[in-house]
Amino acid sequence: MIVMKRMSVWLAVAGVGFAAWVLTGANKKDSMPTPISEPPRSPYEQVIAASGIIEAVNENVRVAPPVAGLVLKVLVKVGDRVTEQAPLFQLDDRELRAQLLTREAAIAPLQAQIDEQKYKIGDLETQLQRLQSVHDERAVSEDELKRTWYALEMAKRGDQRLHASHKQAKAQRDEVTILLERLTVRAPRNGTILQVNIRAGEYATLGPNEPLMLLGETEHLQIRADVDEVNAPLVPPQARAVASIKSLGSEKIPLTFVRIEPYVIPKKSLTGENTERVDTRVLQIIYRFKRPSFPVYAGQQVDVFIERQPSSTPGGTPPSPVVPMEQPS
Amino acid sequence: MIGAYFFITMIRYDCFSSIGLEFSTSSSRVGDHTVNYVALKMLFGDRAKYLMLLCGLTFAVMLIVQQGSIFWGLMMWSQASITNLNVPIWVTDPGIAQVDEVKPLADTAVDRVRSVDGVEWAVPLYKGLLRARLATGEYHQITLTGLESATLIGRPAEVLEGRFEDILQPDAVVLDQWAVERMGGPTVVRVGTIFELNDKLARVVAIAKTQKSFTNIPVVYTTYERAMRYVPHERRILSYVLAKHKDGVPVEDVVQRIRTQTGLGAFTQEDFGFKTYMWVLVNTGIGINFGTTILLGFIVGMAIAGQTFYLFTIENLRQFGALKAMGASSFTLSRMILLQAFTVGLTGYGIGIGFATVFGFLTARGGNLPFAETWQLLLLVLVALLAICLVSASVSIIKLARLEPAIVFR
Repeated sequence: MIVMKRMSVWLAVAGVGFAAWVLTGANKKDSMPTPISEPPRSPYEQVIAASGIIEAVNENVRVAPPVAGLVLKVLVKVGDRVTEQAPLFQLDDRELRAQLLTREAAIAPLQAQIDEQKYKIGDLETQLQRLQSVHDERAVSEDELKRTWYALEMAKRGDQRLHASHKQAKAQRDEVTILLERLTVRAPRNGTILQVNIRAGEYATLGPNEPLMLLGETEHLQIRADVDEVNAPLVPPQARAVASIKSLGSEKIPLTFVRIEPYVIPKKSLTGENTERVDTRVLQIIYRFKRPSFPVYAGQQVDVFIERQPSSTPGGTPPSPVVPMEQPS
Repeated sequence: MIGAYFFITMIRYDCFSSIGLEFSTSSSRVGDHTVNYVALKMLFGDRAKYLMLLCGLTFAVMLIVQQGSIFWGLMMWSQASITNLNVPIWVTDPGIAQVDEVKPLADTAVDRVRSVDGVEWAVPLYKGLLRARLATGEYHQITLTGLESATLIGRPAEVLEGRFEDILQPDAVVLDQWAVERMGGPTVVRVGTIFELNDKLARVVAIAKTQKSFTNIPVVYTTYERAMRYVPHERRILSYVLAKHKDGVPVEDVVQRIRTQTGLGAFTQEDFGFKTYMWVLVNTGIGINFGTTILLGFIVGMAIAGQTFYLFTIENLRQFGALKAMGASSFTLSRMILLQAFTVGLTGYGIGIGFATVFGFLTARGGNLPFAETWQLLLLVLVALLAICLVSASVSIIKLARLEPAIVFR
């Protein structure tokens, strides 16, 4: 027991104890802080993951003006439901309207000339009749008769010419009317106005970067999923899939396969940045879905998980996966 | 844990001596307890000699443990970027050398990793160097870390000020406490401070606690999407894909699968950390410098321990001679010496690691000094110390075996 009487031994025990205490404290590794929302997890055993975007079923219409011009009036606002041929916005038409005035004015003189010509013809016709009714050759010369006849025929041709000119003037008026009508941009089909990027007073150019108006059908939405070309051979057609919108990773939206786009395109990075960065090519797959209980919007990004069958031995040439499914009516 | 083990060892050893005592009463082997008693009395009896011996051992142990811990602490700092994010799997270019050397991937890499069996989730991470310009006009180089916005996976566990979730607000960023320190202290940078990152506005909404890194470049957290706005144009932005294996699937299997299926480089957190500090060891002078220091400390410490103990035996040679003259066998004398060696060795070890731990505890508590004590190091030191005790004891034993009992009378 001589050991127990030594200070140094107790000091040593204390040292070991302290080291043990510090070590157990220091080596306790913090667990990862829980994610603020569930990360997207796959519900299937084997999957192909893709990133997708929600879009209107019939691809959105980027409404463009027929000609470049000043916008006078915007007749719809974002969210409006429009029917086919409903006016969307009005371009500046004053120039054509001015032209229409002159064109219309040109018709009245021609009409007057036609009327005038009618009396001329009537006059010559009565003259000719009178001359023909006289049988005395001394009273009416052959020459006079002939001249009157020619004059009448000339007048008739003049009338025809005037009618043609009148028609031409009217056609010119109609042309301006049609051109005028064209300056009112109308909806090419039924839909909802998704975006309005033009305001009265702005100049609408041809082929701008962003569409003047975006028209789409938001009642039925679809998902366009991008699969990296590396994974493209693994995508089975008709496969089941689910999607989850960002920040709501636990809510899965079941998807119905519609089709695989047959052409592999360069990927647009869905960053919202105006300059696109193309870094790889992607296979696009279209899926349809029922609206979930929470609101989803066209243009939203989603994470898509496509179920992959355990790799089977390929026998012969498989049928082309690019076969559209029956469109559900 | 290991400390507890040694505590038990000490107690056990103590029990041994008491068992020895009992042995002596019950058995006829006279002198068994007397031998142990005499051995310890010899050891403790000369207080000055004992203290000198103990001091030598204590400081040798302390030197090795302290140097080793600082070295290991530095290595831990070098992989701070990995441990601060604390995710199980890192995916990046297969040619990556270390965590701070970023080799960007194509955006679709996230989906490719998600497509691998056994991956529970995968999120993108941006990591890159950028300059921050403070309102005062000062420039600071910073590490911009872009976390995936929906989950904020990889965020620090501890936030000192503000709320980390506020990072989702427009133009919001979160700094770590070292950024505050480097950029001029809490008077210059605090929650609400506005500065510029690549000419774009950044507003501090929180200050997080992280482990200091080797380079001590301030860390600015933002979301992945916003990081893309801050950084200059590059074709590829994605620095890392952070992933987690499904529960029940070994992480190594998943890592291997990611490698074969995607052709990307996948590492577990530990492997990537190892890769990083190996890179630091090979490519910087730290490995050589600290390696030699530790080796020297080790050699010096052990030499002192061995030498002191040997001298102690030599000085007690007369007493041993007396015992031998009284009829004690060489075996008994060897036992005595070994008992002495291990008693003083273990005591010195206990006090030594105690002092080293106190030093580390007091200096490294704020995280300003690299100090990472590990049980592996303590075990290594214990083994080495016991070995050196054994060696010096053996030398003494050989000396004793040749000892003439007559030395007492000279």
